[in-house]
Amino acid sequence: MAQIVNTPSYVKDVAATEGLMSQRRRRMIIAFLFILPALINFTLFRYLPIIASFRTSLYQYSLLGGYGSFIGFEHYTRLIHDPVFWKSLGVTTRFVIYKVPIQIVLSLGLAMLVQRETFGAGVVRSAILTPMVTSIIILSILWAMMYHSQLGLIQSILGIFGIPHLSILSNPNRALIGITIMMIWKDLGFSMIILLAGLKGIPGEYYDAALVDGANKWQAFTQITVPLLKPVLMFVIVTQTVFSFQVFVPVYQMTKGGPLDSTKAIVYYIYQQGFSYQDMGYASALAMVTLAILLVISYFQMRFLRAEA
Amino acid sequence: MKKRRPLFLPVAALLFLAACGGAPAATNSSTTASGTTSQAATTSAETAVPAATSAATAAETTAATSVATAVATTASSGGAPGEAVTINFITIDDPDLLLAQKAVADAFAKSDPKYANVTINFQSVPFEQLFPKIESAVASGANIDMFLADAPDVKHYAFNKAIIPLQDYYTADELKQWLPGSVAEGSYKGVFYAPPSMESCSLMFYNKDMTDAAGLQPPAKVQGWTMEEALAAWKKTTVSKNGSGTPTQWGIRWGQGTYQGDYEHGIIRRSAGKKGSPTFMGVGADGVTFHGYLDTPEAIKSFQDYRSWHRGPTPVTPAEPINNIFFNKQSAFVVYPDNAIGTINRLYPNGDFHYGVTGIPYYADGSQLCHGGSWHFGVSPRTAHKDISVAIAKFFGGAEGSKIWYSKVHQLPARYDLLGSLPEYNKYPQQLFNEGLKTIEVPRIETPGYTEYQSIFGELMQSIVAEGDVDVPSLVKDAATKMEAALAKYKGWNQ
Amino acid sequence: MATTTNSSQQTGVVRSQGPSQTAKLTQRVIRNLLWAVLYIVISLIFLIPFIWMIFGSVRDESEIFKYLYPFGWHTFFPVHWTLTHYLDVLGLTPAGKLADLHFGLNIFNSFFVSTAVVVSSLVFNTMGAYFFARLPFPHKNLLFVYVIATLLVPLEVTMVPLYIVVRSLHLQDTYWSMIVPWFASPFVIFSLIQFMRDIPYDLDEAALIDGAGYFTILWKVIVPNATAGLVTNALLEFQFIWNLFFWPLIAVNNPRIQVLQVAISGTLSQTQQYWGRTFAGASLASVPVILIFLIFQRYYVAGVATTGIKG
Repeated sequence: MAQIVNTPSYVKDVAATEGLMSQRRRRMIIAFLFILPALINFTLFRYLPIIASFRTSLYQYSLLGGYGSFIGFEHYTRLIHDPVFWKSLGVTTRFVIYKVPIQIVLSLGLAMLVQRETFGAGVVRSAILTPMVTSIIILSILWAMMYHSQLGLIQSILGIFGIPHLSILSNPNRALIGITIMMIWKDLGFSMIILLAGLKGIPGEYYDAALVDGANKWQAFTQITVPLLKPVLMFVIVTQTVFSFQVFVPVYQMTKGGPLDSTKAIVYYIYQQGFSYQDMGYASALAMVTLAILLVISYFQMRFLRAEA
Repeated sequence: MKKRRPLFLPVAALLFLAACGGAPAATNSSTTASGTTSQAATTSAETAVPAATSAATAAETTAATSVATAVATTASSGGAPGEAVTINFITIDDPDLLLAQKAVADAFAKSDPKYANVTINFQSVPFEQLFPKIESAVASGANIDMFLADAPDVKHYAFNKAIIPLQDYYTADELKQWLPGSVAEGSYKGVFYAPPSMESCSLMFYNKDMTDAAGLQPPAKVQGWTMEEALAAWKKTTVSKNGSGTPTQWGIRWGQGTYQGDYEHGIIRRSAGKKGSPTFMGVGADGVTFHGYLDTPEAIKSFQDYRSWHRGPTPVTPAEPINNIFFNKQSAFVVYPDNAIGTINRLYPNGDFHYGVTGIPYYADGSQLCHGGSWHFGVSPRTAHKDISVAIAKFFGGAEGSKIWYSKVHQLPARYDLLGSLPEYNKYPQQLFNEGLKTIEVPRIETPGYTEYQSIFGELMQSIVAEGDVDVPSLVKDAATKMEAALAKYKGWNQ
Repeated sequence: MATTTNSSQQTGVVRSQGPSQTAKLTQRVIRNLLWAVLYIVISLIFLIPFIWMIFGSVRDESEIFKYLYPFGWHTFFPVHWTLTHYLDVLGLTPAGKLADLHFGLNIFNSFFVSTAVVVSSLVFNTMGAYFFARLPFPHKNLLFVYVIATLLVPLEVTMVPLYIVVRSLHLQDTYWSMIVPWFASPFVIFSLIQFMRDIPYDLDEAALIDGAGYFTILWKVIVPNATAGLVTNALLEFQFIWNLFFWPLIAVNNPRIQVLQVAISGTLSQTQQYWGRTFAGASLASVPVILIFLIFQRYYVAGVATTGIKG
């Protein structure tokens, strides 16, 4: 099955000098070549901008006005005393806590439901994927119309259950919930499709074996599906937490962080400081702190979920 | 069945793509596409279109299948000998403005043989993203020669040296060709920076069928209703036709679109103060003080009024804005600049939308005003073709350029000569805008931190109309504090 | 359990076939009906805004928001049907030409850019994930942190510095500026690792003993066993690039190479909102991606062999 003809030329070159290098070292170098392109990309297009942002966070800096004086960590001490920063951190945390668990449970349930190859399941699957592939900007506009307290379609549906017109996006207690529901709806397809691919990777024989042992469906689910899906589930939870923490477009498009800062998610606040309030220096400091917070969250999530596995 | 699906769907996808017309999915189909494109252009004549323009656009659309060809098109468009110059011009995505810009650019190239090789490359972005786009371009040192600047932002750009002063390119007499307000808005610390494209003033439009039904006759003059009279009219025209208790027809929508920007919403509180009073000024003379200007007792009262229009026992405007509410005949009144006329004509080409114009409502113990200002032409200090860019700015703001511009945009001109030569501005309803511009127009607050101010102001207005318990006075005071904090960096800018 | 591993295509919901009796039959019918209702309700939840958008794109602009409430037939269905908005955005009408709309070209650009990213991403991310999932290397965990950390910074923050990097490479205002920054993705690498981890190691070792290099193993052993993950990630990457908005807005000035999402947002102008065109553009933007997901769905949906019991 394995033929040397298919090996890239440089592997052969290395093979020619085999006498000089140990087998292990040669293999390490080849292995590194696999990750090298990605590392180049991340260094150039992610780390350079991040480093630039960090440098920016130490200066008085606005996009139009350019660099002002060096102020060290002054932006970081300001941030500690900035009530809006703490509020936006709270808003973001609430958004993540509302959204991620519900989304994961629902998408796992839906993935189980639609993984069959029947016509009906195919239709439902396509329906669930539709919001995911539609531009979030357009969806935000559509949902703002659906939530509308006078005209919204959702008001018509609530009306069926006898609930009178409800202000959602203009009520500080409900606006964030409104955005959360929309984002669960939008992102369900995203997590579902990954879980579907994960489910596909579970060999059918495992279920057949469980069946022979007399297991019922629930037992098969908890004893085969969940454990074998664990890496994929962990991945979905970690990435969805990160993405949800970075929620921006729906806030930008639907509520502009309001009313009364009730939907001012952290990335929106950063954008506002940088692009509207002309304080990219402070915005960069906020971004660095967000990065640090996410690093900690992701680290613990991965540790916890891996230990469980 | 399962096997057939993957075969069928790519075919469907391809058909769909082919149906998209312009998409050059395959090289040999692009000629066919261009054929049908130009055919469609000639057969369906909805409005009078210069054939040359449409043909050129069609040709360009199909030619630009790759970067290489697109570049080739730009380079060869000069034709005549000499150095071809491309001027990069950031502008907003607005069909009428784009049209006007192209027409003026064509006229500019013809105005002098030495400009025959000048190509203006318009880079249009949506209104909301214009500012971030310009910021990013400036911050990264992109080769931008010119951009469209919103009137109150001119000071911001000038403060940050993102545009160059053009005072030296104009004589004192030339500066008098524009309305003084327009020149003031294009200036920074008394130095002229950016010529204006046009002017604006918001008045109150009404749906004549609805006012007739309510037995109302709004006065056909600039000095129209006071706030009190207007509120009574708005209440009368807020009706629930389906008996649900929820109005199906609203009294008023204050301002364009669905947002709460300073352009229209900033008028309300300034109107609560007498001319020259702190409330009327809106900001301290230093351009960075808001306590004592934004939060005066009369200003706070006007903010409370604004809330009661939305959330009071008898609301007259929807608490959550409705798209196109006036143009869809769902509100009786709207405060809007004169470009509403163009929108009505576009949406109702058969003339079955009966409307009238009256003055913008004002507080009886305050003053009447509308915010002026529109787009200005700024020249970037980074331009490698300073002389040409300045010439373009001058031409766009000049007599010929403004005339062509007006023929496409139909909005209040900023030039006396043009305003005087347009017969429509001497008869109702446009006459009111002409008069309003000369009698009640006031520039928006003058500060280099207008962008920051407007952003915080918008949040304030949104919070004021939020559902639930809202403490308007403390919200306004908080906003003033926030504005002062955000603008602290500009302290001393005009000394 | 009479259903064998290869006979479940017909009805899907049927799991037991006892001796044919009418009682069993009615039970089956009712069961199918309940499933159908469930399917319809779920589908509607996800499709309603979309249906409204599609119908909104084929009706007169003045009626788009007119019939929203009270809810009725015309909330969705147009009173006056029209294709004007589509012809406008494709630049096939004088009005569309005047506004310089050329969504056909924008769709092509979006397709070109997204496809290019997916192809390059499939190559480099697959290699990267293979490295992390299966190759021996010292301090791999540190490298993994280096990769994953890039996921944690929102693009909105680093956009301007990123633009400066792209400019210094002279890529601005080209297709490259929309492709090159994304040729590797921390998300896709992270994701593919999960799909490669569970492939039995005996396969690699057998190949190694046969004298195969890592590339051969990746190509002959890993890729065939990770198709579900590869296709899924390719699709996710495609829709991610397809829906990018702020980056192309900042990085690209030439309207001839601009992508569809930016073109659509151009229809939401300050003074006049062309909702019909917005909806037409949004519909044009969604349909191709949905089709692509449908075409490839057999790769991410469980195969026949495993449908017998799950669910």
